[in-house]
Amino acid sequence: MSFIIPPDFSDDEVVPEFHAGATSRTWYHYVLIAASLVFAAVSVGFVGTILWNSLPEWSHHPGTLLAGSGWQAPLGPFGGLAMIVGTLETSAIALGVAVIIGLGTSISIVFLVPRRLRNVIATLVDLLAAVPSIVYGLWGFLVLAPWMLQTVDPFLNRLPFARVIFGNPSQEFGTSLLLAAVVLSVMILPTFVAISREVISVVPQDLIEASLSLGATRWQVIREVVLPTAKIGLFGATFLALARATGETVAVALVAGGVANTQFHLLYPGTTIASWIATQFGEAQGNAVSALMALGVLLMIVNFSLSLMSRWLVVRQRKVLAVV
Amino acid sequence: MDQEFKTHVETKVAASTTPLVRGASAMQLKNVSVAFHGRTAVRDCTFDITKNRVTSLIGPSGSGKTTLLRALNRLHDLTPGAKVAGQIMLEGTDIYRGDITVTELRTRVGMVFQRPNPFPTMSIYDNAVSGLRFNGVKKKAILDEAAESSLKSAALWDSVHNRLKVAASNLSGGEQQRLCIARALALDPEVLLMDEPTSALDPIATLKIEDLMMTLKQRVTVVIVTHNMQQAARISDDCAFLLMGEDRAGELIEFDTTEKIFNNPIDPRTLDYTLGRFG
Repeated sequence: MSFIIPPDFSDDEVVPEFHAGATSRTWYHYVLIAASLVFAAVSVGFVGTILWNSLPEWSHHPGTLLAGSGWQAPLGPFGGLAMIVGTLETSAIALGVAVIIGLGTSISIVFLVPRRLRNVIATLVDLLAAVPSIVYGLWGFLVLAPWMLQTVDPFLNRLPFARVIFGNPSQEFGTSLLLAAVVLSVMILPTFVAISREVISVVPQDLIEASLSLGATRWQVIREVVLPTAKIGLFGATFLALARATGETVAVALVAGGVANTQFHLLYPGTTIASWIATQFGEAQGNAVSALMALGVLLMIVNFSLSLMSRWLVVRQRKVLAVV
Repeated sequence: MDQEFKTHVETKVAASTTPLVRGASAMQLKNVSVAFHGRTAVRDCTFDITKNRVTSLIGPSGSGKTTLLRALNRLHDLTPGAKVAGQIMLEGTDIYRGDITVTELRTRVGMVFQRPNPFPTMSIYDNAVSGLRFNGVKKKAILDEAAESSLKSAALWDSVHNRLKVAASNLSGGEQQRLCIARALALDPEVLLMDEPTSALDPIATLKIEDLMMTLKQRVTVVIVTHNMQQAARISDDCAFLLMGEDRAGELIEFDTTEKIFNNPIDPRTLDYTLGRFG
């Protein structure tokens, strides 16, 4: 605006003083700039080299990578179908289980459980979220797998039509896609509960009291006011949990069986992108390296989008709440 | 408090109490106390809320106005450690009696809050009929009619009738608050509790809500908590003055017609407060 007159720094006495004050700070100014440049270079270099190394496979056999079966190291072909579908299957099942159980847990933590017990459960959830994934894998392999083998698998097989989905349990260790999904669901449950609890608990007390004052029952308050208000944030929590499930490596490598089979029966051993990379890279040479890198790129893109999506949802949730 | 002074006031109250000619009571409070975790927040309030009048609760912060108001539709039920003693009668029935259905009570005693709080995920229409839907009304014809009549009662219909499906968050603060009033009115309550309903609004929106209250009292009894003494004087017929006692519990100092509270109160503290000498 024309009314705003810029401050006049032309005065000879003032300007040098200003500069003197500024020079005493320059050294950390440069250190900070340098640090951020290094960070940018590392990021670009990291993504760049991965993309570069994956390029041979992507450019020559994109179809095989996405939809081919069979992984013939070291020369190829390198089919990614088993890993991709395995990832989808395990993540989807794990997410379904985690969302259903997790939503119930979050709602009870916030609304139903007495305050003291609430803190105990919340702490427990945070602790579970901090357990290293190798421990989950160990538990899955040593405790859950034998139990699945003896109890769950035979039961599933007695169900009509179960063989179509689950296949024949034939493994002596009990490792299977289903086991991987179960372990994954246990692993992502704390993540989902921690975030969804947060999202649910910031729904303004105002709205809850308003709905109660209109004669709503507690269940109606939860179903028709709290959950719709928290909906966007809950989707954010779901995407974050999904990102954790698709990217999970070590635990899945232990319990999924590590076989690139394309039958996809849940009780057969299978593999996922992340765990396949973990188990194969040691012996990989030549084209196999490129193929593994290509799978890595795929996983990176998926997780990157999931995390972007969940951030966007969190921002939108804040906007919804800001209106209230 | 000085014992002699207290007795003096009490005799003065007793002497001056000429029985008022009043209509029937909508609600009666008898020795109502509210405590949180054993700590008394409001003590021993006794007064009548008369039908089709606006009753204001005034007093400085911490005198327990809002606490008392929230006891009237049992909103304290959800606060852990909250306890309400004494009797609160709605049409002769103690609302804290064991066999009272809380959800039904709250449809008869509605509430409007300090901040406008329409449900952010619902449209204007859905907000207006949300109370009816909570109570199982599903027929579209009934809902449509209730939406129109309640929005008309809240003086909002003219400005929103052609955008009923728009999100309630698009309305201005004053409109949002009138939507909240409409939402409460849609259930056709006997009593409408208002907890500082204009404190988050600008002067023009405030005046609109005040006008609305004056018309509303023909069909619903209004109880309003307000910090604003001019507002209490402007819109209320009866007035209860509360003050924080020495143990930090709110006490009812005086209850009378607003005219008397503001012009000729019995207790000197009431006069001091309405003249703005403290609080």
